[in-house]
This record gives sequence, C-alpha cells and structure tokens, in this order.
Amino acid sequence: MDKEFKHFEFHGNAKEYFRIWIVNIALTILTFGIYSAWAKVRTNRYMYANTYLNGSNFEYNADPVRILIGRIIVVTFYILFIIFGQHLMMFEVAAGIAVFAFLAMPWLIRQAVSFKLRNTSYRHVPFRYVGRTRDFYAFFLTHGLLNIFTLFLAFPFSYVRFKELILRNSRYGQGEFNFKGKVQSIYEIYFSIIGWMMLVTIALGIVMALVSGIALESSGVGLENIASSGMLGDESANADDVAPMVTGLVSILMIFIYLPLLFAQKGLSDAYFSNYVRNHTSLETAPFRGEINIFKLAWISVSNVFAIIFSLGLLYPWSQIRYLKYKLEHTSFACQDYEQFESFGYEQGSTVGEEMMDFFDIDIGL
Amino acid sequence: MIIEALLYDGKSSKEHEVSIEFTANRRVVILSHDIDVSLDEVEIESRLGNTPRVIEFENGIRCKSKENDKLDQVLKEFGLSKSKAYKIESSLGLTIGSVLVTIGFIWFMLTTGATYTSNALASILPKSTLDKVSDISMGQLEDNYLHPSKLSDRQKRIIQGHFDALTEGEAGYKLHFRSSPQIGPNAFALPSGDVVLTDQLVALSQDDEFRDILGVLAHEKGHVVKKHSLRIAIKTGISGAIIGYITGDVSVLASTIPTVLINSSYSREFEHEADVYAVKELNEMNVSTEYISKLFEMLDKKYGNDNNSSDIMGMFASHPLTSERIDYFKSYIK
Repeated sequence: MDKEFKHFEFHGNAKEYFRIWIVNIALTILTFGIYSAWAKVRTNRYMYANTYLNGSNFEYNADPVRILIGRIIVVTFYILFIIFGQHLMMFEVAAGIAVFAFLAMPWLIRQAVSFKLRNTSYRHVPFRYVGRTRDFYAFFLTHGLLNIFTLFLAFPFSYVRFKELILRNSRYGQGEFNFKGKVQSIYEIYFSIIGWMMLVTIALGIVMALVSGIALESSGVGLENIASSGMLGDESANADDVAPMVTGLVSILMIFIYLPLLFAQKGLSDAYFSNYVRNHTSLETAPFRGEINIFKLAWISVSNVFAIIFSLGLLYPWSQIRYLKYKLEHTSFACQDYEQFESFGYEQGSTVGEEMMDFFDIDIGL
Repeated sequence: MIIEALLYDGKSSKEHEVSIEFTANRRVVILSHDIDVSLDEVEIESRLGNTPRVIEFENGIRCKSKENDKLDQVLKEFGLSKSKAYKIESSLGLTIGSVLVTIGFIWFMLTTGATYTSNALASILPKSTLDKVSDISMGQLEDNYLHPSKLSDRQKRIIQGHFDALTEGEAGYKLHFRSSPQIGPNAFALPSGDVVLTDQLVALSQDDEFRDILGVLAHEKGHVVKKHSLRIAIKTGISGAIIGYITGDVSVLASTIPTVLINSSYSREFEHEADVYAVKELNEMNVSTEYISKLFEMLDKKYGNDNNSSDIMGMFASHPLTSERIDYFKSYIK
C-alpha cells in the first residue's frame, strides 16, 4: 500500500475576494453592524468553498442568524462589563461579570472548537467534535496552575496536551483524527524561533545603524525628510517644530523595526507549528504532511503587513488570500479512499463560544 | 436547461456525477437518482464569486455545480432573483460605492462623527459619572503633582472673580489654585468642570488685573464645553476599532498607531477650538485679547524651546507654543 500524497489547492483570488470584503464592510456599516454575521458567513464560505482536496471542495454551513445571536450576547456582556467597571465604578458588578466569564471560559472554548468543526463539511459529510466539557475544565485547571508555578516553562507540554485534546476528539464522519506530539520537539521549535529572531534582530540592528548613520551625516535635512515622509499626515516638519519630528521618528522606527520583527516571528511560529501539527496528525491511518517553508511564510507575513499599511488597508484581502493559499498548497494528505466516510448528520449548537473567540480575536488554531 | 453537477446523498462521502434538468413546468429532475421534485422544494444557495454552488434537496441530498452562469440563467427564467449581496459584489459601480461608503464612514467617524458620538454619549452618561472619573484623576494629580497654592489672598480674589464672571449661571465649574513646580506654568480642565491653575502661570502674568489669566480660564472652559477629553477617548477608540476591523490580524497597529497619530494632530485641533471659544468669551466680556497674547509671548520667550509633553490636557502641554496661536489672539485685538 503506497501512500499517495495530494496537495490541498486553493482557488480563491484577490480580485473576487476584494469585492466580497469591501461589500461586507459597507453593508456592515450601513446596517449598524447587524450584517457582520452574514459577512462572516460569506467570507468563510468563500474561503472554504475555494479549498479543494482531491478535486472536491469544502463547505461552510454556519447559520448567520445564530451567529448574530451569539454576537449580541457577547457584545452585551462586554458592554455591561465596561459600563459597570469604567463608567459607573461599580467594581463588584464588573468583577462578578469577569469571574462569570472566567469560569465559563473552558466551556466556551469547547463550544468554539465544536462550532468550527460541525459547520465544516467535505463532500457533504460534516466534521464533528466529541470532546467532553469536563475534560476542558480539567485541562485548564491543571495546566493553568502548572504554568503559573513554572512561569510558563511548561508551556510546550501544555501545548501538546491541548492539541491532543482537540485533535483526538475530532471526527470526520466515522473517521477519527490522531495526533502524536513529543514535548521535546515543541521545546526545540521554541529554541529555533528564539534563535532565528535573535539573528534577525542583530541583522536589522546593523542595517538601522547604517541607515541612521547616513541620515545623520546629511545633517538635519535628512532627518526632516524622514519625518515628513512618515505617516504624520498634514504635520509639516519645519525646523522649530520639534515635537512632530520626534513623533515621526518614533513611528518610523516602530514601523521599520518593530513590525518586521513581530510579523517575522508570527510567520515563523505559524510555519513551525503548522508543519509540526500536520506531520503528526492523521485521519485514521491517512497521514497529513506539512511542507511550509518557514522563511517563505515569514517573508509573506512581513511583506503582507507593509502591503496593508502602504495601501491603507486596501490590499488586506490580497494579503489574506496570499497567506492562506501558500499555507494550504503546502499541506498534503494521503488517503486511499475518499468515499468511505459516513455522515452523522448536521447538528446545531450554541454560537456564543465561537463569537467570544472572534470578538476577542483569540485563535484556537485548528 | 440541463446543468452538470456532483451529487452527495448526505449519508456518505460518495460522489456521483449527475445531470440536473430544470423543466419548463418548474420541476427539478435527476433521472439517475429518481428525483423529480418541484422547484419550490429545492434551495439554491446564493452565488459567491465562482465557487461551486450548492443545490439542496429536502431529503438531505446536496448537489454542487460549477456552472454558475447557467444556474443564474435558470433562476432568471423562473423569476427567482439573484442574491442581493452577489448583485452588489458583481457590479463595478456598487463595489466602488462600497469603497466610498467605507472611506466616507471612517472619515466621518474621525472628524465630525466623534463630536456627535461624544455629545450623544455625554448626554447618556449621567453627570455623576463624569464627576467620578474626574474625581479619580484629580485625586491622582493631587497626590503626585499638586501642592497648596502660595498665592496671596488678593490674587486669588481677583482671579476667582474672573472665573465666577466667566461661569456665571452655569453649574459645575470649580477653580482650584495649586502650586506645581513639576508641571510648571500651566492650567488644565477636567471633564467635570474642575479647572486647575498653577501658581507658576500666575507668576508670569503681566497684568495687575489678571485679564491674561482670564483668557486662559476661558480657554480651559472651552475644553470643558466642547467635551474634548471625551472626544479624544472616543476618537482613539474608534480609529483603533476601525483599523483593527479592516486589517484583521494586524492587532498591534490597532493599539499603537492611532494614539501616536492622533495625539499630535488632534490635540492641536482641540487647542484651536478652545482658543476660538476663549476669544468669543473675552469679546462678550469686553476684555481685549491683547493680555492673553502677551502672556503667550512671555511663555514663548521663556519656554518656547522646551518640549514639555505631559499627559494631562493642559493649556500648553501637547505641543510648543506656536506663533500662529499668538497671531490668532493678536488678530482680535481691537
């Protein structure tokens, strides 16, 4: 039995997605945010439906009305928290809301995982999640305490356990997912990321030193040019107007040092961890493979940010498609029989967990 | 009309190639699977770019077709309209319209929109809330920067007299005399109407009647009337939210860039608004703007090159005094 790996394919394109994206934003504005639930469904439908494996595409089946209800619940709680905490100064009530949210967290995270899976289908067979709520409470209690007492040095260990909790309880039809991770490898990944980031920081430091040297040499004029070419808008940099120039230099430094570092690190980490998880996951006996080039993904991540900034956000859809396409097309899967999976039917469930993750921009990373 | 599609029975992941026939009497027929149902029992998903479209039957069977244009034609023939969202997305004019709506909205929220929102918020927020917030910041200032005033009773009496005349008939305003070597010559207002004036500023006054200080107090009242602190908070929040929403994962930008960008240019706009307000008040009280412009010149001479940036919304905190502001006051001297 030789295993034939097939690459995922992504057929979405930036031109099409730009229109969907901008119409989503405009309609969300015109409907005071209500359309955002439909916008989310359209965006996800577009991404899923353009993802192909072995010639068939994926489906996103979430119901926008239920998403809207989830959003309203989350936003209401958040607004109540802000009103009580920051404006009415009724800290007991605000603390009560915070404690309630904190206690509900493991349950909500489980819900979010389950939501993502059961609303995804492939060949009209949905994914499912069978993990139990009590396992989430056990996980967050033990690993929360463990990481507090070890100052997060045990994080790689928790990472592996969390991936196990998620993947081993994921199903496609009757098919069970498997994940076998080694804690040691996760430590190695962290060391690699730290190593690369140190190298990049030193390299950037040298470049910046050279650049600022040249700028200083050509005296104040050079500095002014840098300041006025920044993002300060209508601030003009004349000689006795020191403040905007300082602000300008600070934002320039932030943009040219901090952002590349941050997004290089994001790309590197995503590549390392995505590869690792894919290479240690299988559906029954059918393995996945991750072939993402870490430098390529880091480059995409950094250049995307600059594309977004210099296009004032207009290249955001392009950057999203570019990133996703690269990741998907460097992931493959080897399955002998795509027709063997039996559906357990579609189920509905609460959307609150998913919407909370969405609202606070928490990525559980499936 | 016949459309090629893939059929999934919803029980397994098996895939079947089928032809779906839409007949003239509004029936949908798939011969190979013994399906012959009315068009009303079939749900055709809205079009989304060129992704395969789902045609869902009531018994859980799902077909997917890539023949989007043909399907649109079928829907048109049977009088079922295209999805509204797709209509907008596929029209160039409406897409450009969407871009304009978005840009217009962002621009509005960062300019006049912030004023409307803060006015609306201020009217919703009970006065006691603003007072509480101000109490807390006042408490922090008292603890860290402010000391009892050493002004003479005469000085206090004259300035207090100006302040009372300025705020006559309006509740909530209160003047605090304080000494603060750390903050230096300055004055600032809290949203509650508490105005703090430092001895160091009074010391620079060149008028026995302190009419220049009256100008400063009018400026501070302008900040309160125009709700500047609330507007700054709202603008920072809104621009953060917008940048965060549009750029998605670029969450760092959302939290850092707006504050950097806004604080330098927006406080300038607010200072000018407060100056305009001060000139109006001074005119009504028949006090020449000459005094305050002289005070500004004095400050410019003494501190013009210092860039004392402080967090509090002070009269001279956010930027060095510019000659423009002096000229502005001078232009109103009669």
